[in-house]
Amino acid sequence: MEQKTEKNVLEDERFEIDRLEILDCSKLRFYKDEGNFISLEYNGETYFNVRLTRLVPFYSKTTYISVAYDNKDNEFKEIGVIKDMAELSEDQFKMLDEYLEYKYYMPEITKIYSIKDNSRGFIFVDIETTSGRKTICIRDWYSNFRMLTEKMLYALDVDGNKYFCPDVEKLDKKSIATLEIFV
Amino acid sequence: MNLLLSAPKGHELSEYVYSLPFNLYGKAKKVDGTLSVTHSEIIVYIDGEEIDRFGFSDYEEYACEQLVGCSMMVGKIDDRDKKCICAFTQDSFIAFAELCKIINHCLTTGHLVEESDIDEPKCPKCGLPLDGYTECPYCASKVKTFAKLFGRLKPYKGVFAIAIGCTILGELLNVLSPQINKVLIDDYVIPHNMSHWLGFGLLCAAMFGIIILNTLINWVNMKCSYYVSLNLGQDLRQDVFDKTLELSMSSISKKTAGDLINRVSNDANKLQSFLTDNGKNAIVRIFSLIIVAVMLFVMNWKLALLAIVPIPLVVLIIKRAYNVIHMYYGRSWRFSNNHSKLLHDALDGIRVVKTCGTEEAEIEKYRVASENWAKAASKAEIVWNLIWPFSDFLMTVGNYFVLYFGSLMILSKIPAFGEMTLGELTLFTSYIGMLYNPLRWLMQLPRQLADVSISASKVFEILEENTDVRDDADCVDLDIKGNIKFNGVYFGYKVYNPVLKDITCDFEQGKMYGIVGHSGVGKSTMINLILRLYDVTQGSVTIDGVDIRKISQQSLRSQVGVVLQETYLFEGTVLENITYAKPNATFEEVIQAAKIAHCHEFITKLPDGYNTRVGNKGYTLSGGERQRVAIARAILHNPKIIILDEATASLDTETERQIQEGLNELCKGRTTIAIAHRLSTLSHADKLIVLDKGRMAETGTHEELMKKKGVYYELVMAQRKTTKMREVTGNPNYVH
Repeated sequence: MEQKTEKNVLEDERFEIDRLEILDCSKLRFYKDEGNFISLEYNGETYFNVRLTRLVPFYSKTTYISVAYDNKDNEFKEIGVIKDMAELSEDQFKMLDEYLEYKYYMPEITKIYSIKDNSRGFIFVDIETTSGRKTICIRDWYSNFRMLTEKMLYALDVDGNKYFCPDVEKLDKKSIATLEIFV
Repeated sequence: MNLLLSAPKGHELSEYVYSLPFNLYGKAKKVDGTLSVTHSEIIVYIDGEEIDRFGFSDYEEYACEQLVGCSMMVGKIDDRDKKCICAFTQDSFIAFAELCKIINHCLTTGHLVEESDIDEPKCPKCGLPLDGYTECPYCASKVKTFAKLFGRLKPYKGVFAIAIGCTILGELLNVLSPQINKVLIDDYVIPHNMSHWLGFGLLCAAMFGIIILNTLINWVNMKCSYYVSLNLGQDLRQDVFDKTLELSMSSISKKTAGDLINRVSNDANKLQSFLTDNGKNAIVRIFSLIIVAVMLFVMNWKLALLAIVPIPLVVLIIKRAYNVIHMYYGRSWRFSNNHSKLLHDALDGIRVVKTCGTEEAEIEKYRVASENWAKAASKAEIVWNLIWPFSDFLMTVGNYFVLYFGSLMILSKIPAFGEMTLGELTLFTSYIGMLYNPLRWLMQLPRQLADVSISASKVFEILEENTDVRDDADCVDLDIKGNIKFNGVYFGYKVYNPVLKDITCDFEQGKMYGIVGHSGVGKSTMINLILRLYDVTQGSVTIDGVDIRKISQQSLRSQVGVVLQETYLFEGTVLENITYAKPNATFEEVIQAAKIAHCHEFITKLPDGYNTRVGNKGYTLSGGERQRVAIARAILHNPKIIILDEATASLDTETERQIQEGLNELCKGRTTIAIAHRLSTLSHADKLIVLDKGRMAETGTHEELMKKKGVYYELVMAQRKTTKMREVTGNPNYVH
């Protein structure tokens, strides 16, 4: 009988780990610690330096945000998933959004002036971004300069910086014509 | 690397030891920031205003953390208590990581290094990352590279000279044919002069002779060219392969297997065909261009000018047109590549497609990919067919001038140009035709040269690379007993990111040691250092009191036996695989080793016994069988030191128990170092070394460490909990 109870406890424990936990936004209290990292109070527990992850970073910036932490054995433990950040209070939303914008810093491409292929596997793309005009160099551009969906353009430059354009069809005609030959 | 790059506004660079610009702060907004370092402090400026100031000792460690879109420099007291000092885009990562390393070094030694010794892994000329190359393949001197390339023809210079001689002779014969044509037209066809049958016959015989001679010369030429080409290719491939195997693991791991295979086969092949085809053609075509041009000018310089003058302009136009064509074909190639990938995916995963019932979705995906390819290919063809006739017409536009003015000259209508016979005009137009061929080839040459020079630099980079793990001139062949010592070892695969920190420990002869810790803590790295696949960054590893950098690599590795988690069996028989490390072993020794490793039994049951072929195309052995072959290989090797890197991790407990007996036999009386994720396999080790965050956390026997209730205890408890949970879910592999 006692053994059975232990079994049930272990089964419960396993289910608890594997089940998707959609977090109740009204119970979440995120706050910034002195080091500017985000900690969380939830269900009476405090989690320091929580790890916030956009589960579908290319499709949505504010939905399906995983909230996790590293336990003392440095193991990844997920507290749960925020289905939609819009359910958070305004200041909580702002804090998380700022952090995520930071973590996923990715200037948006707003115009493409020119693309030059040096015939050695590199292209040099002269772009206007939300962080200013820049010429980025892309290595192995068949993989690092491509359409993720029919509309979304993604670029990864030689330094590891990422750029994206959510909808290439909204670019001006010249940009589209310049882009067309390369993607 | 220069870490003193920019001073904050209103300050001088000379005020700081290091000063780096950063571009992100606060709400991921672009800022003009500077992080400046004095001898004891870190100061953060934004727009010239001081925002933060830290003493080095405010934090225990400084590190660079890479996020998804940017990175940040962090001061840490422990994993919980840390502060973001500044953030920056990824291009500054290496500089900040190096700065953290210098400050950390200052925290441990009290000495601030004032010059960074790490090299900027970017090309100083073009600024592109070197990415594992020692010299930028794009900026390497082309002349030097090609000189080296042609230098490899030296052993075959005689045969190559014959090939060039034959090609020149062939070209000269080609020049001769139109001359005979001219005489035939002017002296026999136009005057209807058929009375000199002898002369006519001789000319016809000469034409026939030229054809025969040309065939003969071509045959010799082809034979010589193939001889040089095949031998040169073989030399190149062999040299690249030999050198690749000589390189250190750190050099090799900077390049992917695909890249190395490419260099051995594709790049070497490209050079082979370039040297024997284009290399020879270059000499001959330039030679024929000069000869033909001289002949044209001698015949009639005014007419020759008319044919040549438009060429530079035409070449410029055509070059641009070719670039457009190239882009369209590149696009079509990319779509065809996507199409093949999709086809490969769908057919490889056909079972998944069928079981998920997604045939229609796959068909639709394929239809779109196929349609895209067809559209891109058709567009490329349209562009080609629009541009090519036009550009070819432009290229030969001089010919039309020559025909027009030449005809006028025959009719004596432009006395300023002189007079011309029909035969001379035919001769002239034939020569102009001969002028355009080398020109067309020359236009393609820059692209080919660029392509080949990259292949050449890649090949020569391997051939000329100095391996960083090499035998010293005074290295010794040591008869190893098996006492290993780590003395304050620091090591990182990337210098700015140490994996092992201050490791000091002893492995005594004949005893068994286990290295444990979380994954990624540096267990396998310790083994790599004992095998000297890498050299330590700081400190030393000694065997029997001798620094392993002073022991010849061949002597060291021939006395260390390794059994890895996944055993790679080479293409060949079971016998060849067991005797891999000792090819001269007698068959009795092989059977003895196989018996100890408990693999003799299953080998006897194989269809061809010890001659059964295994490997990619051979008989498929199970994981346990492969491990037993590996143990037999190690037993036959008779090493003084045994390394077991997760040797039984991929096996179920029953197979593990069987193999354990073989392993026990193998380890008897030898220094054994084992890594195993399943801690129960190490509980009988004489000593356990526990690593935590790259440092040595504790050592002792299983019992001692369990009593201590430290890192090891926690690891065992965590594993027991997981095992129990798996028992509940009924996974038979984990029943203990």
